[in-house]
Amino acid sequence: MSESTEPGQPDPNPNAGVLRHLKPSGRVHLPAASEAGPAPSGSQATVENPVFSCRDVRVFYGAKEALKGVTVDVGRRQVLAMIGPSGCGKSTFLRCLNRMNDTIAGARVTGTILLDGQDIQAQDQDAVQLRARIGMVFQKPNPFPKSIYDNVAYGPRIHGLTRSRSELDDIVCTSLQRAGLWDEVKDRLQSPGTGLSGGQQQRLCIARTIAVHPEVILMDEPCSALDPIATARIEDLIDELRESYAIVIVTHSMQQAARVSQRTAYFHLGELIEVGETDRVFTNPRHRLTEDYITGRFG
Amino acid sequence: MSRRALRTFYNLLALSLSGLATAIGLFFLGAILWTLIKNGIGGMSLNVFTQMTPPPGSSGGLLNAIYGSVVMTLIGILIGGPVGMLAGTYLAEYGRTSRLSMVIRFVNDVLLSAPSIIIGLFVYELLVVRMGHFSAIAGAVSLAIIAIPVTVRTTEDMLNLVPQGMKDASTAMGAYPWRTITSVVYPAARSGIVTGLLLAIARISGETAPLLFTALNNQFWSSNLGAPMANLPVVIFQFALSPYPNWQQLAWSGALLITLTILVLSVAARLVVSSLAQGGKR
Repeated sequence: MSESTEPGQPDPNPNAGVLRHLKPSGRVHLPAASEAGPAPSGSQATVENPVFSCRDVRVFYGAKEALKGVTVDVGRRQVLAMIGPSGCGKSTFLRCLNRMNDTIAGARVTGTILLDGQDIQAQDQDAVQLRARIGMVFQKPNPFPKSIYDNVAYGPRIHGLTRSRSELDDIVCTSLQRAGLWDEVKDRLQSPGTGLSGGQQQRLCIARTIAVHPEVILMDEPCSALDPIATARIEDLIDELRESYAIVIVTHSMQQAARVSQRTAYFHLGELIEVGETDRVFTNPRHRLTEDYITGRFG
Repeated sequence: MSRRALRTFYNLLALSLSGLATAIGLFFLGAILWTLIKNGIGGMSLNVFTQMTPPPGSSGGLLNAIYGSVVMTLIGILIGGPVGMLAGTYLAEYGRTSRLSMVIRFVNDVLLSAPSIIIGLFVYELLVVRMGHFSAIAGAVSLAIIAIPVTVRTTEDMLNLVPQGMKDASTAMGAYPWRTITSVVYPAARSGIVTGLLLAIARISGETAPLLFTALNNQFWSSNLGAPMANLPVVIFQFALSPYPNWQQLAWSGALLITLTILVLSVAARLVVSSLAQGGKR
């Protein structure tokens, strides 16, 4: 977790990610969004029949406002990529979508987040039930200390999705197949999931996620701990999964965002600066900050 | 003296001082073990494990005391272990930063370092006075109270070692906290928790003061939990202070026996931890 911007804990060096990518010129000045005028995020923020519909979402950690009014929709059967420098709020926003911010003491979320038209922050909405409908893949592969089989069977078991062993076997098999891991592990389903390589572990985590047929899959820099070959496999997988799921992916790699996503959202210091068709955002950014970021002027 | 020579000298000085301190510590440990083995090994025979504690002057063994110690330690850990584990789970998983948790942690630390004789007196007032007589169950309860803070601390520490990412993964799957704890966190921390329990057993198996006020002693075989029961620490205490050579010899043997048991438990705990560390590296 060390490289990630951990929500809840103030980042000791919010520019670390920026500096890491910076050429020798030294310190970088992150321009405040207000210097460059208001964010025209309204224009392409909405889509027809969205899975998620977020309006003016704000997150506070104590008194600090980490996310400053984000308005965006997540479309069905498409990938929304969220890019931006470290500490810009993209992971924080991602964690709003399955209410993982609830687990952080002192975190407070305001605004409206509708999943299929239903307010996920409503008083009577059980966060645990909600998370069963939304899969999440983390930055660091995190298989459970169980066998490969039990890792994938975890979700179906806790939600009581199957009535018989053979039904469970089927789910495990199809999930591993869809995650592109079946051929590599079919002979050792009972060996520990932690014994796999990093890329395999991440595909195992994806198999575990899709085993419960979520409506949306959230991915928080799923490839940042993987080598290029493993990354390519995960990206292919994301492309296949898009046929059935809506996917929201946080990434530090602009190439990755360009490769896998249909829409891209650019975050800057807790604000959503620009969102639109990925091709359009990368070829014809409307906002100076977006342009500076994608052309590598900073970040 | 050149700067370099000075540095070498300081380094040598620090090294010798730490070496000396280590040697002093190890010397006393070695001396104690050596004394125990020298005096205890002679009395070690089958009789120790098969016969009851004898009256002065006749031959006998420690069977009833060994039995009593095992029984009271087991009951103690059966009561104290689960309570300590659940409290440690609360601190590590549910409470975390709550005010209640901070109070519990503080009180637990106080309890951890409370003199065991105080705990003996407490249970004396709580159980012995009310029951009207000493009993094995009172002894077991006082051992349980000593085991609780040890288990709370080790359980909390071990659960905190489980990566947050693993817990998050389970939470994000839509698991309720209890499910995450029982299905993911406990299995991940299993060897650590077992180690904590072993250390708690090692700790309470040598306690004398609390048993003096609770289980007292029994010269005869007794498996009645409501009656006084013999146990190694109190037998050693009583026999070692006696003027009778055969009692003194049995006290030495009993002392050696307890020490070896604790040694074995501690080594076992170490082995579990090192296998855990290796498992974590893979």
